[in-house]
Amino acid sequence: MKKYEAVIILNPNLSSKADDFIKDFKKLLEANTFNIVKQEDVGRRQLSYSINNHNKGHYLLFNIEGDPSKLIEIENKIKYNESIIRHLFISVKTHSGEDSQLLLDSKNKKNEPEEVVEKLEKVKQPEENKIEKSQPEEDLKPKVSDTKDEDNSEEKDDKDE
Amino acid sequence: MSKYELPENFGYKDVNILKQFITETGKIIPARVTGVTASNQRKLTKNIKIARFLALIPYTDMHK
Repeated sequence: MKKYEAVIILNPNLSSKADDFIKDFKKLLEANTFNIVKQEDVGRRQLSYSINNHNKGHYLLFNIEGDPSKLIEIENKIKYNESIIRHLFISVKTHSGEDSQLLLDSKNKKNEPEEVVEKLEKVKQPEENKIEKSQPEEDLKPKVSDTKDEDNSEEKDDKDE
Repeated sequence: MSKYELPENFGYKDVNILKQFITETGKIIPARVTGVTASNQRKLTKNIKIARFLALIPYTDMHK
């Protein structure tokens, strides 16, 4: 028995079917005598660079343990699954029972949007005030430019003479 | 003192920590700059390279 961490990035267009995939993947693991110690559904996340023209990916993390020789069979089946854009199996000494930073970040983001909306509304109000203040300044500027234009025209007239 | 702070345990999933140790262009910053111990620097480079593969961290700033 060896301990592994599996990271699987799903096609973001199929992220609504992620639960179905997790079920299938569990069956595949159990068929190959693997135990799932812990699983995390991180959800859709921005990729740092595009993979197969996808800019987002649905991240799934699994802590699994099982027979190393069977892992090759699992990987061979996963390779040709088109809903997976990237996968990785890493052997680890111990499984940390804690939630990963990725999962925590995605949870924080889900909670944030409401706060962000509130902040945006607060930000908008001062901006409106600024616009009102800035309007008188804009009125001043055209006048200045007008006088400059007049100066220029006078100069040109001088040159023509 | 320094802006580079490394906890005892970290992995490829701790993106916010790993991001401290790459430049704006995505290169790994040498230990002589960050003052990280040699063993930690080896751990860092391993984890940064895994995180790059999983698109958690960019390889470069030239990605399209």
